[in-house]
Amino acid sequence: MNIPKQPINQRILKYLITVLIVAGSIWSASGLEITPERFLTAPSKVWILVTAMFPLDLSQEAIDRIVPKVGESLFIAWAGTVIGAIFSFPISFLAANNVSLNSFSRATKQVLNVIRAFPELILAFVLLPITGLGPLTGTLAVGIHSIGTLGKLSSEVIEGIDEGPLESIKSSGGSKLNELFFGVIPQVMPTITSYWLYRFEINLRASAVLGVVGAGGVGAELINQLRFRDFPRAGTVLVVTILMVLIVDTISAAIRRRIIKGREIKV
Amino acid sequence: MIKVPKKPLPSLLTVIGYPFAIALTIFSFFQVGFNIEDFKRNWENRKLVTDTLFNPKWEWAIENASQALLETIQIAILASILGCFIALPLSFYASRATNQTTVTYLIYKSFLNFIRTIPDLFWAMLFTVAVGLGPFAGVLALVMFSMAIMGKLLSETIDSIDLGPLEAAKASGAKHNQAVFTSALPQILPNFTAYFLYIFELCIRASVILGLVGAGGVGRIIETQRIFLRFDRISPIIVLILVAVIAIEQFSVWLRRKIL
Repeated sequence: MNIPKQPINQRILKYLITVLIVAGSIWSASGLEITPERFLTAPSKVWILVTAMFPLDLSQEAIDRIVPKVGESLFIAWAGTVIGAIFSFPISFLAANNVSLNSFSRATKQVLNVIRAFPELILAFVLLPITGLGPLTGTLAVGIHSIGTLGKLSSEVIEGIDEGPLESIKSSGGSKLNELFFGVIPQVMPTITSYWLYRFEINLRASAVLGVVGAGGVGAELINQLRFRDFPRAGTVLVVTILMVLIVDTISAAIRRRIIKGREIKV
Repeated sequence: MIKVPKKPLPSLLTVIGYPFAIALTIFSFFQVGFNIEDFKRNWENRKLVTDTLFNPKWEWAIENASQALLETIQIAILASILGCFIALPLSFYASRATNQTTVTYLIYKSFLNFIRTIPDLFWAMLFTVAVGLGPFAGVLALVMFSMAIMGKLLSETIDSIDLGPLEAAKASGAKHNQAVFTSALPQILPNFTAYFLYIFELCIRASVILGLVGAGGVGRIIETQRIFLRFDRISPIIVLILVAVIAIEQFSVWLRRKIL
């Protein structure tokens, strides 16, 4: 049987990628002085840590300390997402090249790229001396980073709209503002709202680690317990955080699915 | 007279959802403690940051941070490659399309969901305790991180593959594994490559902050300088990272266009 051969340039690309991956991992592993033995012994070391965490420290005192901290992370994430959503919404219209002017759109996109490049944690410790130790700093850091990411995603949604409704509004005498309110916003709102919720899920994880630099939330609790070698309590912190994230993820994913699919309406 | 259909009644989600969201927003802002008085007082401190942040010490940063920056990139490369290639077989087990056994499907699916709930820096903290301080802990943390994302994205892609080729392979006598290897894997390889490049970018960003908990990379230097508020030494490092991230992003955009 005659099987056609793959084109030569595709085969070269395939080999090139394989070489790149192998060489990249060897170069990195040797640079970091990581040997296969370390990978093989790692699981047993992790297992020692896991067994040290059980049974969990479920004393009243531990729960009273940990649960409010986990709650604080939740509030930081929500407030940060709200800040991100409120500011990114108008900015995303400026950044979309089918709604705003071309030069405006390009400039706004660059600004969003720069904002996005800074991780929340770096924003947090730069803000720390100005806004103080505590959850406010975390909220602002999460919020600013969210403006960057949500702005980019939302502007891409706006760029992908169907131009038909805009044209029909224009042809029936609608103004530019009418086009925006009755043509663009109804089209993009479901996707953008679901992105807001999705960002909330990501921010929840981000706000959990912000405590490492003292910007509020549960991260400080975990790093302190690990430093003091109080593993049962560290385990409790971990379990409570995981439970909270799982619950929020499940609810948020269900709402997102409902928003995108829409409600079934009997006519 | 045109007959306009009646607007449906608001759904339960709207009735409960909107007031709940508004209440949660107000409550959250109170909880995070936005206090205008504190803010005014702290505003005086802004000079501490602005004076140093915009006065970068380039020589210091290049001399002391370039080695650590290289380490950061190596951590990201190794971890994203390992994580993604571990996730590749796992994703087939965590998808309904290629795994008909409910028990194993649920086990793999919930395993991937479970590792996704733990933030990257939490992994880093745990691994620094388990295997000791240094870049190895960072690599392990990012392996978990990239494995979780790849597992989720890829298993959802496998869910939506065309089942025709799979059936054809089985009809011509292939075993399940052979059928998956010859007819499901080629369908998702382009997606796998795209996700891999995306995850590599995420890992570069994440590896910068690993050092803050002692898991290697440039974060270690950032952490020691940040405690002394030496933002003049941190800001050039941040700019260097920015340049590296943007360069890698451009490279991966180019590669993606080349491959897909």
